[in-house]
Amino acid sequence: MTDETKPTLVLDHVTKRYGDFTAVDDLSLQVRPGRVFGLIGPNGAGKTTTIRMIVNITVPDSGRIELFGQAMETRLQDRIGYLPEERGLYRKMKVGEQLKFFAELKDVSGKEADERINRWLNKMELSDWKTKRTKDLSKGMQQKVQFITAVIHNPDLLILDEPFSGLDPVNVELMKETILENKREGKTIILSTHQMEIAEKLCDDVCMINHAKKVLDGRLREIRRSFSRNAVALQIAGGDGLLHDKSLVVNVRQNGDDTEVLLAPGVDAQILLKRLVEAGAVVNKFELAEPSLHDIFIEKVREAS
Amino acid sequence: MKKFFAVIKREYLQRVRTKFFVVTTLVGPLMFALFGIVPLYIARMNIGGPTRLAVIDQSGKVYDRFREALLQTVDEDEDDELDGERADPNQQEQMQRKPSFGRTHFEVELVPSSGRPLEELKRELNERVRRNELDGYVVIPADILSDGKAEFFGRNTGDIFTRGAVADRLTRAVREERLAENKIDQQVLREAGRRVSLASTKISSRGEERVSGTGLMFVLSFGVLIYVSVMLYGQMVLAAVLEEKETRIAEVLFSSMRSFPLMMGKLIGVSMVALTQLTIWGLAFLLFAAFGVGMAAAQGVPVNLPHVSPLIVVYFLLFFLMGYFIYATIYALIGSMVTTTQEGGQLAMPIVLMLVAGFYFLFPIIRSPNSPLAFWASMFPFLAPITMMVRITTETPPAWQIFLSLAIGFATVVGLVWLTARVYRVGMLMYGKKASIPEVWRWVKQA
Repeated sequence: MTDETKPTLVLDHVTKRYGDFTAVDDLSLQVRPGRVFGLIGPNGAGKTTTIRMIVNITVPDSGRIELFGQAMETRLQDRIGYLPEERGLYRKMKVGEQLKFFAELKDVSGKEADERINRWLNKMELSDWKTKRTKDLSKGMQQKVQFITAVIHNPDLLILDEPFSGLDPVNVELMKETILENKREGKTIILSTHQMEIAEKLCDDVCMINHAKKVLDGRLREIRRSFSRNAVALQIAGGDGLLHDKSLVVNVRQNGDDTEVLLAPGVDAQILLKRLVEAGAVVNKFELAEPSLHDIFIEKVREAS
Repeated sequence: MKKFFAVIKREYLQRVRTKFFVVTTLVGPLMFALFGIVPLYIARMNIGGPTRLAVIDQSGKVYDRFREALLQTVDEDEDDELDGERADPNQQEQMQRKPSFGRTHFEVELVPSSGRPLEELKRELNERVRRNELDGYVVIPADILSDGKAEFFGRNTGDIFTRGAVADRLTRAVREERLAENKIDQQVLREAGRRVSLASTKISSRGEERVSGTGLMFVLSFGVLIYVSVMLYGQMVLAAVLEEKETRIAEVLFSSMRSFPLMMGKLIGVSMVALTQLTIWGLAFLLFAAFGVGMAAAQGVPVNLPHVSPLIVVYFLLFFLMGYFIYATIYALIGSMVTTTQEGGQLAMPIVLMLVAGFYFLFPIIRSPNSPLAFWASMFPFLAPITMMVRITTETPPAWQIFLSLAIGFATVVGLVWLTARVYRVGMLMYGKKASIPEVWRWVKQA
């Protein structure tokens, strides 16, 4: 990742207010091409408003949004694929017709549209449902149809708001695979989700917002490293007494089979290992633990409140 | 533009292909026939045979003439009777062949007083009425000629047709008797009282033109047609606007296109559905009419087809479209503010009544079609469909006024759609909340 690469999307000091309520406050971020960008934050943090400004549904009160190096305008909408959090399909329309309509709205029509529709239905294992009414589909299937509407025009920027909700594990894998496939094709993806484990696996970069403000921003790996809190995941037999030595360990937490310990400031992990071995404990696992995105998320939200 | 047509196409095809549309289109003309013609026949039907009437004539002078008047079955309009010599045989034939629905038939009998007191006679007659041997009776007092008062007793005094007919015939009988008493020859008097026939000829910019006299009826049915169309299809427009709101498709749509072409596309798409149905119904109606006229002509009945110039037909279509679109757009605007169709329907009602208000201006405008009032009423877009059509059919205003009115009307439609698009766009972002007027105003400024 070099700084010379032109970002796909730039938000520059963007603010949006609804009456007295500030939904997005002075938000700046950059999304680099060909990467999966995670937009995370608790409910009501301003994620959806941010996304709506990116897709040009609403306009910021102040600040600038630049997409593909141009100021935001209606024409650029055709290069964005958007899967909104609250799904909506015409219930009475047949799946095929529905997709054709949304393709036309994105300026893809005729044979080209038909071919793409068939290809995507096939890929999403929905070919048999093409002539069925949308309301007769299960929720998961509707979700996949909605996803097709977001990618049918082969957009350069794909914005997915909670793409995994309502999907069974098999379809979650299918969806993940499709997202990574898009990434391999050089598409830029903005992923907004609450499911931190998935975000952790998929995202290259992360921006976290809380109370309308950005609280965290950067490459996921670097963020995790910077949050490293001198913690160790253990699986041991014996030597338990050591873990209660306050000069050594500040906090002990059981996480599944692992015992997670937070070391006291200035205490090196090697010292703990040495002391454990000396105490005659059998060490089955000793791992320097990087905090999960989940932990960071929780910590940041708590910090704010 | 492509997206705009995609929206129109979707709105149109999705609706036209529904079973509901196909069924209503086919059943529509049948329903017209059912609700238009059948009640007319039912209302005019006189079930239960002739009305049996007894008469107590204390004056002893009026009964014969009264009876004669009651039994007369030909048209009661005296003028027509008198015009007999002028009317051609065809018309007379037509008159006799007129269906006798609604005209009350009478069976009349005189109750001989034979010196008995009135009270006793009445008691007797009341009893007969109760036994259903009589439907009613009339008491003609001795001083009827000077006093002009008589009494009707009947089982069903709510039957205004019978009461009206009795009063009418009795008046005629009394009048003739009075004249006879004054030794005035009836023939002379009838001749003297004959009405003047006033043939009206309209002088327009194109010279003299015979007026068919159907102008008022024409405008009335025009107004009713707009009103009915708005009532029928306004809800459809409302539902169309609400559809995306309820299913939250709007968010996807707005991420693909601007809201103005979206709203315009919806309005036009749904309106084309309405116009398709109306056209089919209109053609069916014309077919029926042509068939009816053909039947009548085959029987030798002369048919006076109302004279309508092609230009009027063009104006008719233009102002119909204008009227329809103005009010359909109001439904769209309301749809953008509310969350359910029921709410929307209630809110739309008072505004659609504005259309009816156009009728208030009917008579002032007919009396002076070029007054300032007439001018302004026909420029105000919500009244113009009716008021301008009145002016066109009475005294056609200069062309520039007609086109100005149309321009204002269609500009209003565009303005309303623009407003709708704005309100919708902002309203969409506020979830499931009914908007107050100040809120809507804020949205308009905000969007």
